[in-house]
Amino acid sequence: MASQIPNNLKYTKDHEWTLTDGDIVTVGITDFAQSQLGDIVFVELPDVGTELTHGDSFGVVESIKSVSDLYSPVSGEVIEKNDDLEGSPENCNTTPYESWMIKIKLSDNSGVDELLTAEEYEPLCEE
Amino acid sequence: MNDLIKTGLHAEHTALKAKMAPFAGFDMPLQYSSVKEEIIAVRENVGVFDVSHMGEFFVEGEEAIKFVDYMLTNDFTGAEMAKAVYSPLCRENGTIIDDLIAYKLEDKKVLICVNASNIEKDYAWFEKHVGNFNCTLTDHSDRYELLALQGPKSTSILKECGVFPEGDFDYYSVKEFESSLGTVILARTGYTGEDGFEIFGNLELIQKLWKKFMDLGVTPCGLASRDVLRLEVAYPLYGHELSDNWTPLDAALAWTVKKDKENFIGKEFLAEYKPQYRLIKLSLEKGIPREGFEVLNDNEEVIGKITSGTMSVTLGKGIGLALVEKAKFPQDKVFKIKVRKNIIDAKFHVKAFVTGGHK
Repeated sequence: MASQIPNNLKYTKDHEWTLTDGDIVTVGITDFAQSQLGDIVFVELPDVGTELTHGDSFGVVESIKSVSDLYSPVSGEVIEKNDDLEGSPENCNTTPYESWMIKIKLSDNSGVDELLTAEEYEPLCEE
Repeated sequence: MNDLIKTGLHAEHTALKAKMAPFAGFDMPLQYSSVKEEIIAVRENVGVFDVSHMGEFFVEGEEAIKFVDYMLTNDFTGAEMAKAVYSPLCRENGTIIDDLIAYKLEDKKVLICVNASNIEKDYAWFEKHVGNFNCTLTDHSDRYELLALQGPKSTSILKECGVFPEGDFDYYSVKEFESSLGTVILARTGYTGEDGFEIFGNLELIQKLWKKFMDLGVTPCGLASRDVLRLEVAYPLYGHELSDNWTPLDAALAWTVKKDKENFIGKEFLAEYKPQYRLIKLSLEKGIPREGFEVLNDNEEVIGKITSGTMSVTLGKGIGLALVEKAKFPQDKVFKIKVRKNIIDAKFHVKAFVTGGHK
């Protein structure tokens, strides 16, 4: 079953999706990522106000048997986190592109140029 | 990947699109559909595991039972005929070589089932001592495939397959008999806490049985769900809760060390030994304990480590087993677990996290 890769988003090689609106970047994990992880049972996200640098681990997503780090695709301050995922982590499996994790207000452009288009990301989803 | 050993059901696993992973030198199914669905199937219905990677030794002869009893810390001589006994296998200094199940098939025939990762080590240990007894030791791990059928509906499934013996066959019973599919060794044992069976047989029989199970809608289950199921009922796993470096008395297995037994390897040491560790059960409301996480007391001093941890599907909580230093065991039973950067309050459990339904 091919993964969904919406054209309006940009991606990282770590299988995260990003949506940029001005200087605010929303981050989640892709359909491919959730299918590889299996049943997601826990998501740990940073507190609002946390300063992240491109490449930092900002949290974890856990399946029953595994723990995977989440990496910040850009640099900036966490201005919002999705608290709903704490109670319903399985939403990352069912609706990965609605289950955003954090919103980052960019402090500089590091990482922004490395984001991949849907077309560029697709080959990374081949099993 | 070519040097990994394949079980006789490898083609069946790949046809079912199982996610495969190396385990103890074998290419084993980790999961088929979803780990969660597999766990629910075993707790509420019935699931089957290919555990053919495990080792099978046979001890036969006049002193077969006497020899096995000498090798194990648990009482094998005293066990009833046609019953199984769970036991650690220890060195003279009490450290654990492996944990195993010994099956008293006949008065001169014993089957020993050992962990796949320890087959060579265990065989060498048995072989070193068998010369003093009037019996033979054979490693038949290559000859036997092994299925574990687990869950409340396992009895009715086995009966439907024509693989169920006449007469009583209660928990921990074992019998070698001619079934409708051929000769099997059937045991009412398992590693999930549920009622269930382990079926030892040759490749042809096991392939037929697997197909029948699939036709009857039994859920194929992998090693991932097996690990969660055993943790929910707090069964130890060699390499995690049990190791070459400590004794059964450190790992909540005092009930398997029969110090008043006439003689067994490790008796002298274990009779005097004061355990240094205590194996405990902890759960978290939020977060999941993982192997290696530090366990702390109320003052946030490190007192031990998580040996195995997972999300319990049955409880919907993070659960873990931990080895803590006995001298530092907190009398107030207040425990915390360091989950990455955060220190989180943990709940101490006296009983297993989940009560399995085994009879």
